[in-house]
Amino acid sequence: MKLRAGFFDFTGCEGCQLAVLLLGEELLDLLALVDVVEFREVMDGRGGDLDVAFVEGSICGPEQEARVREVRERSRVVVALGSCADTGGVNALVHDLDPGASHGIVYGREHPPARTGLPRPVSEVVRVDVRVPGCPVDGAEFLQVLQSLAVGRTPWLPAYPVCVECRLAELPCVFERGETCLGPVVRAGCGARCPEGGDRCRGCRGLVDNPRESAYRKVLEEQGLSAEDMVREFRLFNLGGRR
Amino acid sequence: MGEPRRHAPESLWVGVSEVDVHRLVRALMSSYEVVGARLRRGRLVLDRLADHAELRLDYPPRVHSPKKFLFPNWERLFRFRLQGTVRLEAEHAAPPRVLFGLHPCDLHAVRILDDCLFDGQADTAYRAKREASILVGVDCDPDDHCFCTSLGTDRVAAGFFDLFLHRDGDRYLVQVGSGRGRALLERFAPGWLSRPPEDPLPLQPKRTRRRLVRPPEVLAAVLEDGYDDPIWEEIGERCLGCGSCTLLCPSCYCFTVEDRLRLDLAGGERVRVWDSCQFDQFTQLSGGGEARANQADRQRHRFFRKYKYLWDKHRRTACVGCGRCSRECLARIDPVEVLNRLVEEREARVRALRPPGGEYRPELAEVVAAEPLSPGVRRLKLRLPRSVTFQPGMFVTVSVFGLGEAPFTIASDPDGGPHLDLVVAAQGSLTRALHRLRPGDVVGVRGPFGTGYPVDAMAGRDVLLVAGGLGMVILRALLLALIARRREFGRIVLLYGARHPQALLFRDDLRRWLDRGVVDVRVIVEEGDRSWCGPLGNVVRLFRRLDLDPGRTVAAVSGPPDMYRFTTPLLLEMGLSPDRILLNLERRMKCGLGKCGKCRIDDLCVCEAGPVLPYDRVQGLREAIER
Repeated sequence: MKLRAGFFDFTGCEGCQLAVLLLGEELLDLLALVDVVEFREVMDGRGGDLDVAFVEGSICGPEQEARVREVRERSRVVVALGSCADTGGVNALVHDLDPGASHGIVYGREHPPARTGLPRPVSEVVRVDVRVPGCPVDGAEFLQVLQSLAVGRTPWLPAYPVCVECRLAELPCVFERGETCLGPVVRAGCGARCPEGGDRCRGCRGLVDNPRESAYRKVLEEQGLSAEDMVREFRLFNLGGRR
Repeated sequence: MGEPRRHAPESLWVGVSEVDVHRLVRALMSSYEVVGARLRRGRLVLDRLADHAELRLDYPPRVHSPKKFLFPNWERLFRFRLQGTVRLEAEHAAPPRVLFGLHPCDLHAVRILDDCLFDGQADTAYRAKREASILVGVDCDPDDHCFCTSLGTDRVAAGFFDLFLHRDGDRYLVQVGSGRGRALLERFAPGWLSRPPEDPLPLQPKRTRRRLVRPPEVLAAVLEDGYDDPIWEEIGERCLGCGSCTLLCPSCYCFTVEDRLRLDLAGGERVRVWDSCQFDQFTQLSGGGEARANQADRQRHRFFRKYKYLWDKHRRTACVGCGRCSRECLARIDPVEVLNRLVEEREARVRALRPPGGEYRPELAEVVAAEPLSPGVRRLKLRLPRSVTFQPGMFVTVSVFGLGEAPFTIASDPDGGPHLDLVVAAQGSLTRALHRLRPGDVVGVRGPFGTGYPVDAMAGRDVLLVAGGLGMVILRALLLALIARRREFGRIVLLYGARHPQALLFRDDLRRWLDRGVVDVRVIVEEGDRSWCGPLGNVVRLFRRLDLDPGRTVAAVSGPPDMYRFTTPLLLEMGLSPDRILLNLERRMKCGLGKCGKCRIDDLCVCEAGPVLPYDRVQGLREAIER
């Protein structure tokens, strides 16, 4: 029995759906496991009851809330696909800005104000069963989650932090060059892609289930970060509008 | 692993240039995958070489250990197909590989992996890689995190490697460490073998900034006392749970096993990947809950495993002092700091309990039996005011007040009670006084002290005991312990030489063991008498008819110093590994507390680290056997 699956986009850049489409040949293998019955990026129409709904983007305002509730009602499993859906993502930065000003920056002064509410993670509106974190999602991890759902296995995400993948890739620690990195508290699974590329981890995959908060705070304090500096580190992906 | 460990006692040393080494590597690459330190995107890593010129022989201790290749993070155990009936497909054999340029600490770490993964039912996935890998060692320069000098892992004995490149000015002195190493040179660098052999390089002591304040032998007891120490909460609070310490440890090997399905679900593979005792979910139970749920428990477990559990089992710390764990720890959890603090706290507790000089004050023990054992030798049975625990091989000091005190090996095995057997040969005034003791008399006793035989580590092996003269006393304690757990050991063979038949100790025991078939006892004396119908000569003669498998034998040798000079080369020639030759190197152990300095062999304190010492621990110490 193939899974009936749908993809639904809310407030986001749709980059996660593109990451899925860019899987190429593996995407064809994927179609052996699932019937994609709704996918606005590639098709029209509505698919009725679903086994899996992939929800991309954060939820902004009453209209989107109603739509995601409707998706929830006809779906056996709801998957939050990508950071925006999972934690609020980059969108949630707007919580800390003056709404009028940010609107002006994004849409220009002459455009009438759009009726958007503040972005929230999907899980603040409806129950989420499975998460595929990342900005954008990792195609291989997406496939692994989908395969797990197809064979009835609980999808697995690493419970350990990005540090593990830096060590395995034999990368020097970002802290050694005097920079701050969220790797010690952020969920692995990306293969430490950003440190590998010379950047630092900014936390797009969200925190591990059990972040060692006080140990990490001590490391940041020793590095000379103030409480405000620390909040700024987490704000990009991990506060979801919370202060 | 018999063949790779075979050690030629006349181990060969030849001088070569760096160019020669590169030529060898190039030749090896025609038949082997060669792994060594090389630059990859600006960083030095242990990796497969595509070209001999990539090889770096001087690289910092930071580079990953050979575990990366011997016990890789991702290893396919087997494949399965699910279409139709389920079919399992075995994995292919490991590729022949040379690990070229391993530091001494990492060579020791390979032996720890062997200990753990060959223990009980051998892990054949590891064994395949291990047997297909030739180990070539190279000298190193310790950095600020290394503490190998505290664990004796800054030097490495033949048998732990196939070849070793000792740096000697601008050239290398190559030490052949195994038959396999020699065969490798015969095939790929035959010119080296025709060069004039050179003298072994004298031991080059290394310097490390970090040092343990006590030898590794005491750490197990220190941890045992420190189970509830607040230090575990402290480092648990600091630990980020990232597992870097265990992932980078050259001897940590805990893993998890997972099924990876192909996308089309037609089949897949079962793989093993590294896991870490520091991770969430490592000890998670299917019904929920975790056995070690907090980071303090997890860190304590790591330390106990490194310095106590595996020490108790294999008489080797599972740490080689490479410093990778502290070097990469963002929270700066440093094993040297943790262990030194536990040692100091324990010693402070002892100081607080005892009045000044208390550790020198004996307990009073009653003589409960005294009997002659052979001419000039008597056995005393003492009852202490408390139950005593000890390993066979440990010793006590006995005082006769007014005459002084002297060390005596315990000749019995622990009976769970307060009793000890000692054997006393009349030599001087104190021992003559001990000969005059009768039941009911009282002497002073301190101890037990020292490190005895690793009986647990000997389980599953054949045991060869070689005794000369009074050296039989300590081996009787060992034999009693072995016989109490007889089924756990293979063959037990005792070779026992004495000056003349009357000097043979424990004759009743020997006859009983022989009759019951629990020990294969072979006795020889130098001068026979009319009653003697056994062989005559030195104990070395008894080696001629030995038929033990060197790969599964551990030897315990005890006798006068001369005897080690003859027997150790014989045992090495048989193919025994240096770490499985246990010598009784009793010295003048006066205080028993590691203080007085009288029992030191070079820098090693016999009353703490010994008197039972594996040969690889003293190999290269000039005062151990050579003098």
